[in-house]
Amino acid sequence: MQSINLHVILCAINDFYFELAWIMDSLPQPVLQMHNISKSFGATVALSNVSMSLYPGEVHALVGENGAGKSTLIKIMTGIYQPDSGDIIINGNPTRLHSSAQAQAHGIAAIYQEPLVFPDLNIAENIFISHRRRGFLVNWGKMYRDAKKVLKRLDVDLDVRAQARGLPLAAQQTVEIAKAISMDVRVLIMDEPTASLSAHEVTQLFKIVRNLRAEGVAVLFISHRLEEVFEIADRITIFRDGELISSRPTHEVTREDAIRDMVGRPMGKVFQRQPSEVENVVLSVRDLSHRGKFEGISFDLHAGEVLGFAGLIGSGRTDIALATFGIEPAHDGQIYFDNKPVNIQSPRQAIKMRIAYLPEDRRQHGLVLPMSIAANITLPIMQDYANALGIVQNEKERQTAQDYREKLSIRTPSIDLPVRKLSGGNQQKVVLSKWLNTVPRVLILDEPTRGIDVGAKEEVHRLIDQLAKQGIAIMLISSDLPEVLAMSDRIVVIREGRQMGIFDRATADQEQIMGAAMGQLEMERDHA
Amino acid sequence: MKLLERYPWLRRWETLLFVILCAAVFINISLSEHYFNIDNLANIFHLSIEKAFVVLVMALVIINGEIDLSVASVMGLSASVLAYEFEKGASLESAISYAMLAGLACGLANGFFVAYLNIPSLVVTLAGLIAYRGAARILLEDRSVGNFPEWFTSFALDDVYVSIPTLLFVLVGLILIGTLVYQFTNLRQAVEEGAAFRFRKPGPVGLVLITVLAAVLVYMLALSSGAFEATTYVFAVLYLISLGILQFTNFGRYIYVIGNNRAGAEYAGLRVKQVKMTIFVMSALMAAFAGLMYAARVGNIRANAAEGFELDIITIVLLGGVSIFGGTGTMVGVGLSLLVVLNLRNGMSLRNINDNTRASVIGALLILSVLIPNWAQTIQRFLPRTLSGDNLTLDLENKEARESTETA
Amino acid sequence: MRRVRYFIRVQQLREISLLLILAAVIYFFGREIEDYYTARMYNRIATQVALIAVIAVGQTLVVLTRNIDLSVGSIVGFTAFYLGDQLSKNPNIDLETAVAIAVGVGATMGLVNGLIVAYGRVPSIVVTLGTLAIYRGLLVEYSGSQSIQFRQLPDWIKTLPSEVLYENFGLDLRPLPAIAIGVMLVFQVVLLYTIFGRRLYAIGSSPEAAELAGIPSRRMIMLAFVISGALSGLGGFMYLARIGTITTDAARGLELQVVAAVVVGGVNIFGGSGTVFGAFIGVILISTIELSLIRMQINEFWKDALLGAFIMVAVLIDTFIMGWLRALWSRTELRRASSVQKVQSI
Repeated sequence: MQSINLHVILCAINDFYFELAWIMDSLPQPVLQMHNISKSFGATVALSNVSMSLYPGEVHALVGENGAGKSTLIKIMTGIYQPDSGDIIINGNPTRLHSSAQAQAHGIAAIYQEPLVFPDLNIAENIFISHRRRGFLVNWGKMYRDAKKVLKRLDVDLDVRAQARGLPLAAQQTVEIAKAISMDVRVLIMDEPTASLSAHEVTQLFKIVRNLRAEGVAVLFISHRLEEVFEIADRITIFRDGELISSRPTHEVTREDAIRDMVGRPMGKVFQRQPSEVENVVLSVRDLSHRGKFEGISFDLHAGEVLGFAGLIGSGRTDIALATFGIEPAHDGQIYFDNKPVNIQSPRQAIKMRIAYLPEDRRQHGLVLPMSIAANITLPIMQDYANALGIVQNEKERQTAQDYREKLSIRTPSIDLPVRKLSGGNQQKVVLSKWLNTVPRVLILDEPTRGIDVGAKEEVHRLIDQLAKQGIAIMLISSDLPEVLAMSDRIVVIREGRQMGIFDRATADQEQIMGAAMGQLEMERDHA
Repeated sequence: MKLLERYPWLRRWETLLFVILCAAVFINISLSEHYFNIDNLANIFHLSIEKAFVVLVMALVIINGEIDLSVASVMGLSASVLAYEFEKGASLESAISYAMLAGLACGLANGFFVAYLNIPSLVVTLAGLIAYRGAARILLEDRSVGNFPEWFTSFALDDVYVSIPTLLFVLVGLILIGTLVYQFTNLRQAVEEGAAFRFRKPGPVGLVLITVLAAVLVYMLALSSGAFEATTYVFAVLYLISLGILQFTNFGRYIYVIGNNRAGAEYAGLRVKQVKMTIFVMSALMAAFAGLMYAARVGNIRANAAEGFELDIITIVLLGGVSIFGGTGTMVGVGLSLLVVLNLRNGMSLRNINDNTRASVIGALLILSVLIPNWAQTIQRFLPRTLSGDNLTLDLENKEARESTETA
Repeated sequence: MRRVRYFIRVQQLREISLLLILAAVIYFFGREIEDYYTARMYNRIATQVALIAVIAVGQTLVVLTRNIDLSVGSIVGFTAFYLGDQLSKNPNIDLETAVAIAVGVGATMGLVNGLIVAYGRVPSIVVTLGTLAIYRGLLVEYSGSQSIQFRQLPDWIKTLPSEVLYENFGLDLRPLPAIAIGVMLVFQVVLLYTIFGRRLYAIGSSPEAAELAGIPSRRMIMLAFVISGALSGLGGFMYLARIGTITTDAARGLELQVVAAVVVGGVNIFGGSGTVFGAFIGVILISTIELSLIRMQINEFWKDALLGAFIMVAVLIDTFIMGWLRALWSRTELRRASSVQKVQSI
């Protein structure tokens, strides 16, 4: 209650200054102001009472863990979502944004990690495709000249007549930026633009960003790489759990402050797992590499152990899992199973070796949504449920499903219900049942608790603990740092496809792991 | 609305089809006194039996998320190969095997391009539609070949009179044998796994299936006193087999799973490519067989044999409740829609309606069978919740949508 | 080399190779067939090309948006019959009115296709397979299974195909090929220089990005179908002028030739790339092969088998070789760019 009062007061003060600035017209006026924005999805609060301002000629960095509410804020700024309460103030005028076209008309544009270009059109066309009022005919000569001008403003050399197909990601991003500034952008939102760029390309991008800043564009820069944030930003705002934690000029913030603000979550909420007895090595990986995704990955996985994989989204953890499961086999390196070298080329082979993989995207890769719970659970080993004629024995299948429904307490009126109708947590339990039913020796869990409610989350945690006790070797990939810390015996930290070290749970803490994942602290490699 | 809630099967597409079928039969009866004639009822099947054969596999193809536009051309090709070989003086037996080999080759080609080179089946089979027909033209040019031996044509033309008691006897026998085999294989597995064996009762779905099948059979038998061509009996057996494969075997399950979510199937370790290949080969083989049946029925073959049959075949499958996007639909629906289409065609021909006009009615049916479910979806979205009678689903789906946005 | 690369893009590469193939084909038949390079042969091919090309232009627009229109053959048949019927009833209809009638009827049929595809969200293959049968049925119902006879038509349309607009080197330009070339040029300009044309490419290239860029995709797709229908109507007029005798089977199966020509002409069946000019060369290639085979008197029946094989080859080239070429192209492009940068930084 008190904090809300405080907030109200703060906002009032904020308002006051805002009015003052307007009247006096001497302070720089913010081009975009988010005022007390709140947004929830059902019971989950994505943003609560967030206020921030973007000034022209400023690079404003937005930092936070995954799920801190950054994406929601961006989507509100670009008109994709509407806030539940609060105002969007553009150039001092409260405005409602109902579509991204409207946001564009107000000079707000966004660039995403995956650029959305038209592969068959050339660069000049891609830049001008959304322009209205270009008349009926295309004046190619003028378009090429204008495109060249725009690219020149960005100080990049790209052939404006080249097709966008086949351009490297960095160039596609440049095209998106050019598209934005050709539309007279005043607020440019960049959502993790550097996530898939090389160091050289990042330098190029920063050059462009600085040019834009010099031209008076307000840039909202979102990145998981702290060193970049400190390099480019004038102001750093940190989000955690849908709230604005701090917003300070860059020179007033240290890296340690930033990391603490990002992870400062009470640890007590998470189920604490007791370290388990380590048995023999089941799976070991040596120097595994996949061009462009990861390289030099080596670890041992023991029976009864939970090996956590920490890192940022897109750091290559899922790719390592996909390589181990045979969906995208690695190019280089060796996997040993029971100390014998194996070559896993397909999921089928992996399943035969009793490796199971719970995928990150359960709706796309884990489930067949319109089919029943029972059918989903028996899918990978369907042949065991068919008799000599290939006829499926429904009784046996239903029995299995019934067993798992009780064992994992899947809450459903019937096991014949299509999984589409279950809640996220129960869907995840169905996927888990499906893989447990193959009696795995190695279980790879990729973000097992993403998007499921707190109760179900704890059940999944207890289940992981039980499974480890039964002697299953578990790889746990999670972007939820407290979860990884609480559940794992050891933690592999991956950053940009490289292994930053293996940490023992006894010695690791959140700041250390986060630092390694963001490339802040160079830790000694601790090969267990 | 209450009624719909209490009996969910009332909302099924199959129920609607059954009503349409009854309406079609009723209209046919009231419009033409010839409809009830024995010969006419046999004709309903007789004149389209080849299409009916291909429909059975086309349903599998579309449920699997693909399409095969080349079936009519494969039918034409196999008939032409048969005619060409026969014309050259080969024995009919070897001509038949060459025709089937031609079908196999077409199926392997389609399957290879679709499953292993990942080219959309629409494109592959459109090219096949032109190319296989072209191959038939190369063989027969503009000749017409006929005079097949009598045993061959009689297979398609002569009625096999089976008295109702005999037929019922055979039917009951088949069901008994089937049940015994099924129970025996279960028994063997039970013994292997050391589990207790017990007799399995058919579930509610099974009961509905048996009732519908029995109803259809009685309808046909009662009206025709058992006078069908041999091909019709072959069809009945193949229908039951394909129904069994799709609805009760693990292969059928794979077809649905891949049609619903190909990536998910791959992540679960299913052999997606092999399944797709198998289905395209099955489709072409069935089309080749149907081409032979066509040759036997018509008696002389030109290169344009069976041209345009894909329209009827695809219409029947889509009208049967199979989604063009794959993943849904049942053999019961396909069987019912087959009867609907055949009855419509029969009724129209009794009224001396031109063949092209009949085709255009089928074309309209094709479009409507996709358009109406689309509309129904749109309307349901805008209806107030209390009216839609599906509160639970809607609620959970909204929640799901929220969750997916959270994670995004 | 750099200058060459500047002017020739991957897209043009495909058209250039098509032209080379066409030249090779003509050279081959010229050696095999006596008196091949004659005005008569040219005229035959030109008339055949004219009809298919007009329809192929419309088909190109539809295919660019990732759709397909299989109903064109039936639209041609219906408009040809309808127009023939009108002309034999009122012989004083003049050329302009006749063309307007044909185009109007065709556009209406195209509108039906477009509405169901764009707003009914039914896949175009289903819709046009259905309307293929429906429009044919309409023709049969309308005609009462009668035919239009050549002698029923007014004189001006009888003489139209053989009029000579321009003559040089023994080759003459007749009205039907002139119409086709005109239509081709107009739509080449439309695709290259109008917002509408560029949006068609954008929609086929990436439907999701088109949605985000605020392009009214549905309306554009519907328009593409309307144009395809209208051009098929024009094709119906040309069919009537050329053949004269229209049965209920008129132009049956034409859609397959058209689709084949478009795909062979380098229009990507998955949308987004290809030009009307390419499709036009595709039509010439296919018609030349067909008519030359007939002339060779070996086996005109090879035509369809070749068509099917052509489509497959074109699609395979599209998926595999073109992708590889493009990658090569952009790599050299980048190398050039980076070398320029280095020079600048020094």
